[in-house]
Formats: sequence, structure tokens, C-alpha cells
Amino acid sequence: MRNIMNRFMVMLFQIPWVKSYWSSRYPAVLSSSTPWKPLGKPLQHCKIAVITTGGVHLKTDKPFDMLDKEGDPSFRLIPSATEQEQLAITHDYYDHSDADKDINLVLPVDALKEAQQMGLVGESAEHFYGLMGHVGGQHLKTLVEETAQLIIRQLKLEKVDVVLLVPA
Amino acid sequence: MCNQTVGLVQREIEGQGISTVGISIAREISESVKPPRTYFLKYPFGHALGEAGNKLQHFTILKESLELLTSVQEPGTIIDSPYRWRRYRFEG
Repeated sequence: MRNIMNRFMVMLFQIPWVKSYWSSRYPAVLSSSTPWKPLGKPLQHCKIAVITTGGVHLKTDKPFDMLDKEGDPSFRLIPSATEQEQLAITHDYYDHSDADKDINLVLPVDALKEAQQMGLVGESAEHFYGLMGHVGGQHLKTLVEETAQLIIRQLKLEKVDVVLLVPA
Repeated sequence: MCNQTVGLVQREIEGQGISTVGISIAREISESVKPPRTYFLKYPFGHALGEAGNKLQHFTILKESLELLTSVQEPGTIIDSPYRWRRYRFEG
């Protein structure tokens, strides 16, 4: 039943004004200030990592939890050299039929390679990161206080300079 | 939801000294969460980089997003993409 409801909602959100109306009414976290770290060196020398909230993970990895109504605040490590064929998407809250065909819609690996070949940005970090963006309730605390901190630890370990974050 | 998750994680990373840029497809949510730098597109869920197979579109959006890392000077800035969904034609 829950699955049918999810599918209905996903279809509904394909209507642009429904998406806009919902976004404007969504009780999002309200922040008062914004952290800020200016770029420390030219972008072409910056090591980059990508984080997607599109539910992307290695096929061999554990899928995200689709049964918990507050979502799954965990993350999956994705080696940056991974081929699309090795990736899967587990995320019942958006229509990923196009992203299943072309992972670049939520994890822009090909465009990033092109930008690197043109010298616009530095090399990729060893890992990218997959999250399942549908996170709410008590899981928001886990997302910020645990998951984000684990990701940051890994980013620092890999000496990452810049991070691109992509929603679904 | 995805845009909130992006913003919250982005804020944590930036707060610990790593520069970040995020793509958004839900402007109101980014306005509320206030991540450091945001490139906003009025695109459907699941299509932050555009349409399947449109490599030039993906590259253009990625490039313009990354450019915010150097061009944006004001924390919390949201730049609106000029590329309308299925209206703008990307041609090489």
C-alpha cells in the first residue's frame, strides 16, 4: 500500500506546479546564518568530490532503507572510477527511470571528466558519496551529526578541496 | 527531501573548511536552509543535470555550478539558471 502511495506521489510531482507548490509549503529547516570557506587556490588545482542525494550506490552495496517512513540517513561510498553499470539507485521518492538510463542526471561523472580534461577543475577524489535524500524527523539529527561528520572525515583523509552536491 | 539534505550536508562540510557548491531544484527549500553557494534550476525531480543523454546540457550545468566557487562572494547566494526545462536548446 505504501509503495502504491509513493508511486502516486512521484507521478503527482512530475506536474511542475504541484512540485512548486509543494516546495513552497515544505517545512524546511530554517537557518539563520551561512558557513563560508572561500576557495583557497585556483579551481583547476582543486581536488573534487561529488555527493548525490539520488539514492545511488554500488550494486554490491546495501540498498537504502525504503521501509522507514522518515527515510535513511546513511551514506554509501562510491569509488569515483566506478562505471555506470556497477551502480544502482534505491530511492522510492522520485521518478528515477531517466537516471537509471543515465546516471549523470544525479551523479555527473561524464561532465566532470570533460571539465577535468579541459582543465577547469582538478582531479577527482578517490570516492564520491551516495545518500538517499528523503530524510526527515529524528533522522535529520543523524544526518547532520553522524553521516555528514563521517563524510567530512573521509573528505579530509582524501585531501578534498571542493565538493559538488547534487539533489534528485 | 533531497534539496534539504543537500543543503544541510553542504553547510556542515563548508563549516569544517571545505568549499562547496550545491545544485537545487527547489528554490524555496534552499532559501530556507541557506547553503553557501547554490545553482538553481526549475527542473523536475530526478533531473538536476537535465535530460538523459544530453551531454552538452550536463556539462553546461556542471561548469556553471562550479564557477560559483570562484564568482560568489556573498554566503547564501542562489544563482538562477537561465536554462528553461525543455525550452532552451543546447547546441554544440
